[in-house]
Amino acid sequence: MTSSAPKSEQLRVLYWRSEILQVVYWLHGEGLGDIVDLDLIRSYLGVDGGVDVHENLSSYVDLLVSDGSLVQDGDWYALSQRALAEGEAQLATAFTDQVHPVASECNDECWCHTSAAEAEACARSRTGKASA
Amino acid sequence: MSMSNATDSNGTLPRHYLKPCLLLLLAEGPSHGYELLEHVRRMGIKGAEPGGLYRYLRAMEKEEMVSSWWEPSQAGPARRTYVLTEQGRKGLNESVQSLRDVREILVTLLDRYDTLSTKASASRP
Repeated sequence: MTSSAPKSEQLRVLYWRSEILQVVYWLHGEGLGDIVDLDLIRSYLGVDGGVDVHENLSSYVDLLVSDGSLVQDGDWYALSQRALAEGEAQLATAFTDQVHPVASECNDECWCHTSAAEAEACARSRTGKASA
Repeated sequence: MSMSNATDSNGTLPRHYLKPCLLLLLAEGPSHGYELLEHVRRMGIKGAEPGGLYRYLRAMEKEEMVSSWWEPSQAGPARRTYVLTEQGRKGLNESVQSLRDVREILVTLLDRYDTLSTKASASRP
């Protein structure tokens, strides 16, 4: 699942924000729990091989806390009343649909056509050097 | 990969049959996460857990075999509803053909084993 994540930091933050929120909403909607910790989120995202999100998951979750989507209690996180009321799941889904690539030079999951920054990051990752 | 990773014990289905099971269940009709989890466990994948199910559904959605949306509920929070796509139906057909092929191999293997066992029993003094 990590291979489909965008490569530029700007989009990656938005992508993981959406993915994390969807996990928390999904668990809540299915009645499987209203609180999560980082390990649980990680297991749902299937990010064992994703070094980037493995290292940054905590910061992505912190962003959700700071924007008021999640509330934190020690190691545990829950959807805020505001997030529940606003139904951010729909927004998260809409975002995912919007930024997912429809064409690609690399593979079906590549994000390189979504923005200039993403294209540059993609080229950099493929060639192993910075683009001019 | 060790055998213990590849299969569940006690004669239950290997974990990688979760995908065709999910495709079949969704071919029978739209469903939700927890409902799917209960059904796949009843189909023999007793070790299925919510995290794995979620990842499979997300992966199948990215492969466009499944589509989903949030369905508001009067009685509780919105739940994700999953439906099979045309691509998913093709995937199901391919999986079923593959399973039929495996079944033939298994039947052949088991028949030969039974024949061997019978001969071995008959030759014992």
